[in-house]
Amino acid sequence: MRLFHNYHYAAAMLLFCLGLHTVIVRRNIIKKLIGLNIMETSVFFFYISLGYLDGGIAPIRVGGADPARMVNPIPQALILTGIVVAVSVTALALSMVILLYRQYGTLDVDRLMREEEPEAVESGKED
Amino acid sequence: MKRVAALLFIAALAVLLLYVVSRMPPMGDPETPTATHVIPRYLEKAEEETHTVNVITGVILNYRGYDTMGEVTVIFCALAAVLAVLGRERRGVIHGFVDRSEVPSSTIVRTMVRFIVPFIILFSVYTILHGETSPGGGFQGGAIIGGSMIIFTTIFGLYESSRRIPLKVRAPLEGAAVMGFFLVGTLGLVGGGNFLTYAWPRVAQDLHPSLVVWLTVLVEVGIGLGGAMVLTSILFAMIREEEEIATVS
Amino acid sequence: MGAWRHFPIFMITVPLLGAVLLPFLGYAKERWVPYVALLPLGASTLLGILLIGRIPSGGYLSYHMGGWEPPFGIEIRLDYVGLFLMLVVCGITFLALIYSRRYIDKEVSPGRRTAYYVLYLLMSGAMLGFVATGDIFNLFVFMEILALSSYALVAITGNRNAVRAAFKYILMGAPSSIIVLLAIGLLYSVTGTLNMADLARRIAESGYTEVLIVSYILLVVGFGVKAALFPLHMWLPDAHSIAPSPISALLSGLLVEVCTFALVRITFSVFTLGATDLVMGTADAVGVAAAAAVLYGGIMAILQKDLKMMIAYSTVSHIGYIFLGLTAFTAEGLTGAMYHMLDHGLAKACLFLCAGNFIYMKGYRRIEDLKGAWSQMPWTCFAFALASISVIGIPPTAGFISKWYLILGNVEGGKWLYAVVLLAGSILAAVYCFRILYYMFFQAGKEGAWEESWHDAPPAMLAPVWVLSLATLFFGVFSSLLIPSLLRAAAYLL
Repeated sequence: MRLFHNYHYAAAMLLFCLGLHTVIVRRNIIKKLIGLNIMETSVFFFYISLGYLDGGIAPIRVGGADPARMVNPIPQALILTGIVVAVSVTALALSMVILLYRQYGTLDVDRLMREEEPEAVESGKED
Repeated sequence: MKRVAALLFIAALAVLLLYVVSRMPPMGDPETPTATHVIPRYLEKAEEETHTVNVITGVILNYRGYDTMGEVTVIFCALAAVLAVLGRERRGVIHGFVDRSEVPSSTIVRTMVRFIVPFIILFSVYTILHGETSPGGGFQGGAIIGGSMIIFTTIFGLYESSRRIPLKVRAPLEGAAVMGFFLVGTLGLVGGGNFLTYAWPRVAQDLHPSLVVWLTVLVEVGIGLGGAMVLTSILFAMIREEEEIATVS
Repeated sequence: MGAWRHFPIFMITVPLLGAVLLPFLGYAKERWVPYVALLPLGASTLLGILLIGRIPSGGYLSYHMGGWEPPFGIEIRLDYVGLFLMLVVCGITFLALIYSRRYIDKEVSPGRRTAYYVLYLLMSGAMLGFVATGDIFNLFVFMEILALSSYALVAITGNRNAVRAAFKYILMGAPSSIIVLLAIGLLYSVTGTLNMADLARRIAESGYTEVLIVSYILLVVGFGVKAALFPLHMWLPDAHSIAPSPISALLSGLLVEVCTFALVRITFSVFTLGATDLVMGTADAVGVAAAAAVLYGGIMAILQKDLKMMIAYSTVSHIGYIFLGLTAFTAEGLTGAMYHMLDHGLAKACLFLCAGNFIYMKGYRRIEDLKGAWSQMPWTCFAFALASISVIGIPPTAGFISKWYLILGNVEGGKWLYAVVLLAGSILAAVYCFRILYYMFFQAGKEGAWEESWHDAPPAMLAPVWVLSLATLFFGVFSSLLIPSLLRAAAYLL
């Protein structure tokens, strides 16, 4: 069956769902970010598997390597971009977590979001 | 209740995605659309067209160089975003830091780190410069430098490491990657081609190999330096606890 | 083969380069940063204006990055509608940047001001690149620059509510980006290409229907979160109302439109040829969501007590309008949607900047506090009134033209119910807008709430507001400037 032949893709999809589940269900915001990273990694895994070729070799043209046997370089190039994006988003999210923890003293998303907003907040006034 | 609903939703999504997987082209098959459409040209012609032995580097920097330009902008944007959220140290007030990052560590660890960090940086230089002939490249090298700075900072603390790479060194280099791309892109225009053309139509054909290789190395070095400095700056911004930030409520 | 061929790429890269160079100025002369930041955007606007008339209607300008022909390299593909939207982006970002200086000086702590302008330029450049690109992965890259800079700009004041709203935005936005990335991977796996035009051809020939359907649905969901389509809009009201007002104007007036436009590109120029049935099926679902958005956004806007919150919910409602125009699948509906992107951008930016004027001058955010505002800030109040009229869709303004075409398109497509929903949405808009106008002009404020003499916002904050509100009037009166070409472009897309 195709599903078992494509077991890399299947694993990537399951990881993706696992990550999304973590993002939705977990209340700790650090765990949510970990779930986010699991989702990202699963998509990277999916892309790299797309480039896989049975008996393939690295796409580096050294020593008369046969181009027909080389794996697909495009997913690898794309995923380099994807990794950079993931790192950037994680860095920004973590720095916001630092600030949130300083200001609210909790990492629990329910308690963060439930906290009443002070009347007539003026942005910047509290600095 | 909410948990059950989430679980059901995720289960439905998983079934859907697995169904899609069962309908996808077989993995590793040389006849799939991915393996037959655009790729053959890259694999066969990349060496003569981009003058890089490593086809992946050829794709990243040359065929899809515009993507990579966007990507280095993303890193720069991440730095600007982190600094917008956490604030940045001002020039000359390094001593004002309240540094809580210093970890008590044994002499053995300190000596080893001091010994090993220069070699890590040497390795990253190699990775950056050999991007077009072997696995590696600017991002990877930059990340390795960033990693070495993380090791150094966790052992010796922020004060020591920000003295080694002070703000006045980091700040001008953070945008190096974007500037490198813009420079090479505009030079392509001067050379008579489009933006980001490496092989200038206006120069003689036999000059192309060395020209393209030099421009590629220029971009790689820009990406490596820029990436390393951005990672270091993000690290410093995250671990510092300056008075001003700590009191924002 | 003139030099103008290269203009689009410089429209995109000049703001990005400006963002990278701005910190140098920030270290040397921080006072000059707000003025110098205008230069790259001004240059982009100028290049965009010079491009007008160069693009044949019904045709497009294709620019091959690095000289590699499309399926191999990245292509910038700029058609008439794309250029139109790029000019809107340039114009509104330029005006909101003029507005920014005083507002930001007051709201943002000194250490972060340079970062504000850097992120602002990155966001503007990313929006331009996002609109222009002809490559689906490149679309993702620019979407990420856009997303990152907007997350940070929402949080830039650093106060606790702002950071919380921004974090909420990240928790919705980042998964949606990953969903888009996954969908692009699925598309790539069955077509082997990333260029949009090439994708359209390959999809027509492709036999992997199931994979295509799911990837399209994932793209709709992913971009739906970014565009704040109804059930996925939760991040929008908080983020748009708590961000500094110029940023609210950009988020509400441009970002959601640009993300909608990306979905338009994907629907009409990638998925049309071979996969009409699947697009239609998804479009029905999207149409229901959009109709719900129109009503839900309108009702929630009426219930709000906070002025910016109300405008934000009004945006939720208006995203529904745009999507209803798209799902009609008629030339009129599409034209209405495009024109609505323009006038909603202008009017919403104007409303948010007016709200910013009230906050800047008096610190008032609540609707009740606006009673009697006329006595002190007549200019702001008049601009607000003009923009509100456009939001409701009363004749001389652009809002009327776009709603007219939206309703026409839905009637022509046989979707009477949606036409009724659109009208109902206008009535809701009338309720929430006229309430404020009534407070402003006909009610007396609390003792000492407003000065009796005219003491309005400074000219640098009034001028952008007035340019925007007069623009809604201009595009309402002279709609014949754009409508015929938009109709042609829409017919070409269908």
